[in-house]
Amino acid sequence: MQANVQSAAKPDNYTAPELSDAIDLGLIDPSAARFGETAGGFLELTYKDKNYPRVSVRRTLPLGMPYEYLSIADEENHEIGILRKLADLDGDQRRLVEKELERRYYCPNVVEVRSVKDQLGYVYIDISIQGTGDITRRTCAIKDVNRNIRMLSDDSVILFDVDGNRYMIPSLKALSAKSRRRLEPYLF
Amino acid sequence: MRDAELSFNLDSDMHPIKGVLRFNADAMITAIENGSQTHLISASEVKEAEVLAGVGCGLAYVKMKDGRDIALARFDMSQLKPAGEWCKIVNHFIETGHAALDQEIERPVCPKCGLTYPEGMRICPFCYSKSSLMRRTFEVMRPFWPQIITAESAQTLSNILFILVPIFNRILIDRYLTPRTGTFTQIAFLAGLCFLVRAVGEAIFIVTARTYAKAATLFCNALRDQAYSKIQKLSMSALAKRTPGDLIRRVMEDTTTLREFMTDNGRWVVEQITMFFAALIILLFTNPRLTLFVALPVPIVAFALSRFWRLIQIRYERQWRKNSRCQSILHDIIRGIRTVKAFGSEDREIGKFARVNRDLAKVSSDNEVLWSLLFPALTFFTGIGEFLVLYVGGRSILAGALSLGLLVQFTMFISYIYAPLRWLVSFPRMLADAMTSLVKLFEILDEEEDIAETAESLDVPVNGAVEYEGVSFGYKSYEPVLREIGFTIEPGEMIGIVGRSGAGKSTLINLMMRLYDPNTGRIRVSGADLRSVSPRRLHERIGVVFQDTFLFAGTIYDNILYAKPDATPAEVVAACKAANAHEFIMKTTDGYDTLIGESGYSLSGGERQRLAIARAIIKNPQLLILDEATSSLDLETESVIQDSLNRLVHKRTTIAIAHRLSTLRAANRLIVLEKGRVAETGTHLELLRKKGIYYKLVIAQRQTNKPA
Repeated sequence: MQANVQSAAKPDNYTAPELSDAIDLGLIDPSAARFGETAGGFLELTYKDKNYPRVSVRRTLPLGMPYEYLSIADEENHEIGILRKLADLDGDQRRLVEKELERRYYCPNVVEVRSVKDQLGYVYIDISIQGTGDITRRTCAIKDVNRNIRMLSDDSVILFDVDGNRYMIPSLKALSAKSRRRLEPYLF
Repeated sequence: MRDAELSFNLDSDMHPIKGVLRFNADAMITAIENGSQTHLISASEVKEAEVLAGVGCGLAYVKMKDGRDIALARFDMSQLKPAGEWCKIVNHFIETGHAALDQEIERPVCPKCGLTYPEGMRICPFCYSKSSLMRRTFEVMRPFWPQIITAESAQTLSNILFILVPIFNRILIDRYLTPRTGTFTQIAFLAGLCFLVRAVGEAIFIVTARTYAKAATLFCNALRDQAYSKIQKLSMSALAKRTPGDLIRRVMEDTTTLREFMTDNGRWVVEQITMFFAALIILLFTNPRLTLFVALPVPIVAFALSRFWRLIQIRYERQWRKNSRCQSILHDIIRGIRTVKAFGSEDREIGKFARVNRDLAKVSSDNEVLWSLLFPALTFFTGIGEFLVLYVGGRSILAGALSLGLLVQFTMFISYIYAPLRWLVSFPRMLADAMTSLVKLFEILDEEEDIAETAESLDVPVNGAVEYEGVSFGYKSYEPVLREIGFTIEPGEMIGIVGRSGAGKSTLINLMMRLYDPNTGRIRVSGADLRSVSPRRLHERIGVVFQDTFLFAGTIYDNILYAKPDATPAEVVAACKAANAHEFIMKTTDGYDTLIGESGYSLSGGERQRLAIARAIIKNPQLLILDEATSSLDLETESVIQDSLNRLVHKRTTIAIAHRLSTLRAANRLIVLEKGRVAETGTHLELLRKKGIYYKLVIAQRQTNKPA
């Protein structure tokens, strides 16, 4: 009995295996992956000789690491694997995945705050925004500013309007003094 | 017939564009981007139209019969819901061959500013004028007008009396004191008059305050009652748009804000305005030149006050937010203290709180510093008029152009002008807060009851027959949960509903209880379309047990009676015996009078569930719905409850959802749901033989239950 107990004991220097060794993250081997665009405008993937006609790319950490740990899933939302870094892909392959990310995550940057109107519990902000294309102008309605105007750092802010649209201010310092002054009362 | 049109605003590179997606009477789908056609597809080749929701954007696309998927239109979130509606029209055509093109797709837009109305609102907050809000408020206040008008008139009378005091002072000084000709009686008479005016004024003030407070309380209570009863009548889909906290805030906090506004500020409106103008007119008549000096700082002070007021408001708002952040961190950590300790992260939490607390201290102290500088400065500046009047008036007295009494009267009236001014400057902000609360209340009161009890609502005897015919439904129109569901349940049958999580099982019975109405298709209960059935009557006749049982604070007895308030004690005990609850109830000190809920006896999961079953069956319902009624229980407790349920389902239509498939073995038929559609139906054995989805679910469950 005694011997059994002793043999079951682990040596002093025993350490549990690293979690990432114990659990398979399912990282995608970039060299075995071939992305393409279907005629219908969707991203397709051929991975280890298997074709997935419509795949989606999701960010694991959309705000913290937007181009790392990208989850690739099939049409049924079953994860095929995780792409460690977008930069692991080369040239046109990277461009295809990047385009898919742009199509899935739409969060244009605010380039100017033209006016702010506080009206009956809603804050209406007239902004100029720029995504991947031209600058456009719109008035967005924000309710519950405490929750929907969120400081991501001391300098960057994200706005959520009542429809669920998102607008990013990557750097408050980069905005004009006037824009900053208009928004200032709502930042905390 | 017009086409079903959806406007969209992004191209495939997510560049802003003007696009239109059209579905016309010839069943052709066209997509046009900046005037050029990008797609032309015949709906006859389409299997289904769908919306894919991304983050901050969405995509409408079609699945073709040949297996291809074609992306049609991309848009930001503003168009997500309309896109769902557009897809519904196309899908309806594919399924029925009928193009329902008259259906409204786009969200209603404010005709004045062109902005879409926020979800669930029928007024545009951007354009809503304060005057129309005031009109609406006056209408709601109509029953309380007599009290309010009485209070306001009395208040005005009291003000007029107060205005007499400076005039008496002037007479006293000019007629009796300066010439030293007054007798003791004359002086005593005037002093007595001043005393009397003050005393009467104060007495009126007390009466006014009481009348006003009463009217304000009654008005706000009436609003609170209306809001609460409206919430009770709203459908689940209307309620689901708001959080419980939001609804509670509207009923309690918004009405309190209004009451406070009315008692603290509202009643001063007439008083302050009359005071200001009365004093100004008297001053003008007495000495226009001196009045000019009084009025000189008025616009400057008003402007400065309004600017500073805004600044102070913003700063205090920030302090309020920091404070609430501090509180929420504290609340969170104390609630989760077990986790904090288990992870040994006490120091990290101390650091986190200290940081937020430091922030709060800084903002608070900055605000105090600003306030302590600003307030004396403003008061001083406001008093400049008084100094000017003293200087100019003093000179005029020395020159013999003005009497001393008049100057005293003047300086007294100055305070009658400046006090309302200070108040009036801050009034718009307070009014804005009250209006925000009012709008939120009106928003609830104006909400349309989509599942309303009407005079035409039928009282249908529920015999247990249920029929689903082409039922499709989604909580959000762009995400259908159920698609084309069709089946019939005969009276007395026990039906098991099976499927993976998210397959639509609970939604299926939510529709049966008419908590929601289907988007398309119909549900018949005892042969009558559920849309025509009175929801109240229906709920009286259906017994339901949910997985997450909610018991109200009160006694066990009260909780059982909740389902049937007129039940006799014998019925209550019988129901509890049937639900195997009687035994544990009798083990408690107070038996059926045991208090349960937050501060009462704490029930175990199995006990709660047995009470829920007793509550469901006391009505002796012909239709019994069990939504995962036993899934949160251990096997032993489950078998006790299952036992009581088996006794009950006899000769009663029962629809049961169960995660543990073994509990459904007694079902006459099983309906297997897969991605919102009926995938299989049949008995347990039939489905096992079929080796389809049900078979896989059973095998998977057996594997997990196998002892390791």
